[in-house]
Amino acid sequence: MKEIRRFLARRLTGRHASLWVSVIAILLMMITASILLLGMGKSPLTAFKTFLQGCGFLARENYGGGSGQLSDLLDFLNYLTPLILASVAFITAFKAGLFNIGISGQMLLAGFTATVVVGYNKELSPFIAKPAVLLIGLLAGGLAGALIGFLKYKFNIHEVVSTIMINYIISYLTGFFINNNYVDMMTRTSKVCSAASRLTLTNVMIGDMKCKIPLGLIIAILAALLVAFLFRKTVAGFEIKAVGQNRRCSEYSGIRVNRTIMLSMGLSGAIAGLAGVCYYLGYTNTIIPKILPSMGFDAISVALLGNGSPIGAIFAGAVVSIFQQGANFMSSSLGVAKEIASLISGILLLYASCGNYMRFKARRSLQLAADLVPASEIPGTTEKKEAEDDDQ
Amino acid sequence: MINKVFTDGLSFALPLLIMAIGALYSEKSGVTNLAIEGFQGVGAFVGALAATLLAPVMGSGNQAIIYIAMVCAAAGGAVFSCLHGLLCIRFRANQVISGVVINILAVALTAFFTSAANSAINGTASNKFILDVSDRFTVPLLSKIPGIGGLFTDMYPFEIVIIALVVFLWYLMNRTRFGMRLRACGENPHAVDAAGASVNRIRWAAVLISGALSGIGGICFAYSLIGNFSPSIYQGFGYLAIAAMIFGNWHIGPTTLACLVFGLAKSGGLQLCIAAKLPSNYTDLFLMLPYVLTLLLLIFFSKKNHPPKAAGEPWDKSKR
Repeated sequence: MKEIRRFLARRLTGRHASLWVSVIAILLMMITASILLLGMGKSPLTAFKTFLQGCGFLARENYGGGSGQLSDLLDFLNYLTPLILASVAFITAFKAGLFNIGISGQMLLAGFTATVVVGYNKELSPFIAKPAVLLIGLLAGGLAGALIGFLKYKFNIHEVVSTIMINYIISYLTGFFINNNYVDMMTRTSKVCSAASRLTLTNVMIGDMKCKIPLGLIIAILAALLVAFLFRKTVAGFEIKAVGQNRRCSEYSGIRVNRTIMLSMGLSGAIAGLAGVCYYLGYTNTIIPKILPSMGFDAISVALLGNGSPIGAIFAGAVVSIFQQGANFMSSSLGVAKEIASLISGILLLYASCGNYMRFKARRSLQLAADLVPASEIPGTTEKKEAEDDDQ
Repeated sequence: MINKVFTDGLSFALPLLIMAIGALYSEKSGVTNLAIEGFQGVGAFVGALAATLLAPVMGSGNQAIIYIAMVCAAAGGAVFSCLHGLLCIRFRANQVISGVVINILAVALTAFFTSAANSAINGTASNKFILDVSDRFTVPLLSKIPGIGGLFTDMYPFEIVIIALVVFLWYLMNRTRFGMRLRACGENPHAVDAAGASVNRIRWAAVLISGALSGIGGICFAYSLIGNFSPSIYQGFGYLAIAAMIFGNWHIGPTTLACLVFGLAKSGGLQLCIAAKLPSNYTDLFLMLPYVLTLLLLIFFSKKNHPPKAAGEPWDKSKR
């Protein structure tokens, strides 16, 4: 026990501390989920196996016609695509110290606008329609995001409150238009958009399997890399980070705080818009009126689990997607309500948000230990610095 | 029609008010609280579960159930708010992050356990608890006042409970030693520490109070206004309450007014829609009104307000 504690404490103060916070959060989440599953009389091992099987990481015992492990894996990537974009969007605002809870609303707005403008236009060729969808997503989301930034600096409205209000306004407004003009009478959702505009290629035959190919995945990874580049190498990225750490200090040093806040919120909204079009014109191809996508909130878990790094978001996104996407198969084979997927990502979020406390505890226990051992081998003092540099 | 606007407006405004006061207590003590939405949902879930379990035992329609449900909801909200206290006070996490984390967790937790409880109790896979609607009553003389008589017509019993609670909470905040210390914790915690009180203990009390009050607000929405408990309880009412608190500039009196404005805007919009005989689709546009109004009011009122100085900062004794 003592060895484990010492090992963890060293890892949490060492070079890859942020990575270890995520690993520990995932482990704690799996322990909590196992206790929950045991409490309901289900085997946690089988449950985790079915989660993986549902996503195509492990082979199932039997497959229906036209599906297989590869098509499951592609379905998983199809879900992962908008999730990566949404969490990169969250990170972009988070670096400026802004909490963009409005990703759901921005996704919905972008998805709705793109569906109405391009998705219902049957004549467009795929080579015009797909870029047009992306462009509209960027614009619609970006404008919605910039509005929140504007309200923040001009009127001092807390972004969490304003984004929630705008979320519901967008949800009711688009719901009204869908119900009035674009509803499919059979499914009570919006009419499906044209295949030409859809960002996921459906019914692609690979061998004897019908597969979906998410074209947006390339854009998602590109966006993550670009945002990482923005924060590491550019002046604008540095200014956004500076504003996030200390607004007053950046103001004195000549950074235009207002413009920076608008920029980061606008950028965040634009990426959320991309997530929206990948979700509504890719993962699904219809919109359920008056329902905000829960992905906008899962994105927050992903961003926190990835320690606010865009590259980390890709891997953290995969972890969260396994539970979200595998929940259906898990639910059908174990008989546990599939709402457990959201519960699991909620618990994960809870542990991930305790990251600072974990590191504080680790540093503390090493300091206590250092009082007992000779001073020559005190870790932490030099390594701590590196760990803090690592964060950025 | 004007009477109906007042009746419905008040019954929406009061649960909102009790949640807003919950948020106010927490923020006045220096703990930023965006978790009201989650507290009210979990409180409502516990209350609704208690009501569902009790209904067959006590006979449905028994009016005592609502009071028991309210107590359970308050307890549930308070227990759940420990999580916020733990993260913000003990673990010193970022209080905004903690609030949002708790809201997300609350949605997932209640959605999952509602399904689980339903399949355990009656074997159906529904995500709803169907609840009764409590009886209403009309105050004899006051309801005859022309104009505002609607405020006293068809009242739910919870409205009286909430009004009594609000008066008590105002007294507790502004006229007692505990209230003064609580306010001081949000403005200058070091003064409280120097005076010999424990800042963290007072903040814990404030967070627990905010959880209990939000729980009561939640069960009022679930038991009487909506008539069931389902994940649709998360309609942003908690955030509306926080907005009301911001208009009220962190004071109970003006916050009450702000809640009344919200309530009347909501019921007024709905009645207007009915009076104009618009198709049912258009109700969506009117349901949007409170949110639009909030945003507009925030634009006019946010600039000049004075949030508690120490809100959002974990208490650190060695800091100065």
